Amino acid sequence: MKEQLSALIDGEFDTNNADHLLIVAKSDGELRHAWNAYHMIGDVMRGDQVFHNKVTNRIMDALEQEPTVIAPAAVNAVQTKAKQSIFKKTAFWSVAASVTAVMFVGLILLQQQKVDQNIIEPVEFAEGIPSEYLTAHQTYAPNGAAYYIQNVSYTEPR
Amino acid sequence: MFKWMLTCALVFASLNVQALEDPWLALQKTAYAARELNYQGVFVYQNGDQTRSVQITHMNNAGRELTRNVMLDGQPREVFSEGSDIVIFNAKDNKVVIEKRRGQNLFPAMLPTNLEALKFSYTAKFGPIERIADREAQIIDLVPNDHFRYSYRVWSDVEFGLLVRMTLMNHKGQAIEQIGFTQLSMLNTHDLNWFQPKIDLSKQYVMEDEAPITHVTNSWVVANLPPGYRKVDHIEHIAPGKNTIVNQVIFSDGIASVSLFIEPIKKGVRPKMGHKVVGSTNICANVVDGYQVIVVGEVPASTVQQIARAVSFNKQTTANK
Repeated sequence: MKEQLSALIDGEFDTNNADHLLIVAKSDGELRHAWNAYHMIGDVMRGDQVFHNKVTNRIMDALEQEPTVIAPAAVNAVQTKAKQSIFKKTAFWSVAASVTAVMFVGLILLQQQKVDQNIIEPVEFAEGIPSEYLTAHQTYAPNGAAYYIQNVSYTEPR
Repeated sequence: MFKWMLTCALVFASLNVQALEDPWLALQKTAYAARELNYQGVFVYQNGDQTRSVQITHMNNAGRELTRNVMLDGQPREVFSEGSDIVIFNAKDNKVVIEKRRGQNLFPAMLPTNLEALKFSYTAKFGPIERIADREAQIIDLVPNDHFRYSYRVWSDVEFGLLVRMTLMNHKGQAIEQIGFTQLSMLNTHDLNWFQPKIDLSKQYVMEDEAPITHVTNSWVVANLPPGYRKVDHIEHIAPGKNTIVNQVIFSDGIASVSLFIEPIKKGVRPKMGHKVVGSTNICANVVDGYQVIVVGEVPASTVQQIARAVSFNKQTTANK
């Protein structure tokens, strides 16, 4: 099931058969967490903005309020296969649209959260200022065991 | 899967026979094993007075390398890599900050797959066999040909060729940085369920403000680089909280790397001069043409000092900028 979820997120899964996955994704429990996790890793790997946790919840709420997706029973049984696929595509895109809309909200939230960075007072070399150079070195140099193990983050406010 | 593993095993087995004759071949095998094998374990990193335990899971899924590193000491932190993309989930107070990084040679894939550059600066020698993390491991020493680099001792698993420990040693033969498995097992599965962070729904997940990085190729030249070192990258980025552009030029001899930082000296800020040692890292500060120069590297003091002194500003190229 998790593999199917992952495939769905990556757009590799046939959305015609995805209803049960969307239902599971909106439910609580392990699979919902997996859904969140796959989304997050996928987004980050692709360089997309990552949502706030709150926003993720709102996406899930949006999914809940999306009757066409979570209630396939609403689809008339006599509909032809072709009609069904168009219908479901529409449903799919409406979810996509709500995701996009929520993402904008997320961006606004992100920007509001930015804290003004104060100018850091100069420190003498002898007093151990080089931590940021050391971190930058460990971050960008091709070899280095230390950079992801160390305590200090490059962007950590001081 | 089994077929593939068998093929690998056969390739490694055939390499193993030759490895007895040539330590470079053994190192080559070690460089590939870390990237091609599927394994899980716990390793410990030690540098100066810092010690960290990390749980690692590595899988090569049809040529796609996936790694998850979970920090077991200190602040919770998870590092995911897929190919050369690295994503770090960094727990801080009530937030989880997500950082993106570009590829590096992470443990145990610390040896470059192309060893040609190393052959200029180091001599490879076999040492005895030792037991590391319940594995038989062949010691291979990379002994520097001059005093511009430290020596590396590599422990390579006799059966699989995996690097199980690596130590950086100074001229006196003292270990100044160590990284190695304390527990290791090979994985025989295709399951990728482990490739996901432990999500804490009570925390807020935020992206780190990404500092823009520009790759540049001008302005600064180091006239007299220590032998064996060559420039591998030159980037410009903004130092956090500084609002100034910092030039970072990266040099490497194939395994050891040195960063050269150059930034204009601001009014009212006293420039820094001098030398400092942090664990295995030497740091040297100098002033050139009204610029602050800082050189950082896991290399001997003479190497960072020589680079810090040899920096000069190529005025012609910047005038055209």
